[in-house]
Amino acid sequence: MSDNKKKILEMLAEKKISIDDAYRLLNVIDADEGRQSGEPKTESEVKTKPKYLRVSVMPDPDNKNSENVDRVNVRVPMSLIRAGIKLTALIPPEALDKVNGALRDKGINFDVRSVKAEDIEELIDALGELEVDVVSGRGEKVKVFVER
Amino acid sequence: MNRPPMLMHVKVKNEKSDFGLWLPLFLLLPLALVVLLVLSPLILIAVLILSACGYGRWAWWGLRCLKAAVISSWALRGLKVDVQGRRENVYISVV
Repeated sequence: MSDNKKKILEMLAEKKISIDDAYRLLNVIDADEGRQSGEPKTESEVKTKPKYLRVSVMPDPDNKNSENVDRVNVRVPMSLIRAGIKLTALIPPEALDKVNGALRDKGINFDVRSVKAEDIEELIDALGELEVDVVSGRGEKVKVFVER
Repeated sequence: MNRPPMLMHVKVKNEKSDFGLWLPLFLLLPLALVVLLVLSPLILIAVLILSACGYGRWAWWGLRCLKAAVISSWALRGLKVDVQGRRENVYISVV
């Protein structure tokens, strides 16, 4: 078993990620290992490279309160997200201690320093499966998904 | 490797004003590069002085920030923000 798979199972055991997330991440690792061993890429593997993260807030047509809802449509390139994550390496250690402390205060026991660049790459690749749909009572329809 | 952003389109529309702006980033980026090249000896001297004064760690941190800023601006291509409020509309697109 690879180190990455062990890490995912550890995160699952510690309830840092859900079963679905762990399943997706394990699939991504399997696909990567298959690629490294020289297996030909399947069509679905080629397609899974996410390009943009899309966030849209639209008025819900079924809700009467939706007239006052602002429309938001944001498209963020994955390359920008990657660059942003790399920027976290510039955060001074003193600030990281404060971030960890703030997270602990909110009940999240997580060390930001333990996040490595390679883990983030896997998470970004796994974002290809992401799709969030939220319909709020205020007449908003929020959608977060990945565009390829 | 990603291509750098070429144009930035900014559009703001509200009750008082309505304007759109096309920023030619393909002209600004080479200009910024030239400015960086011109200033590089000064930056080098500043880093050496800061290192001699015991602030070398912060000097390197500043240089890494500069590098990160360049990488981030390079990755902006494809960014799109469109907010349509009741009173104001804002649209930003980088192509």
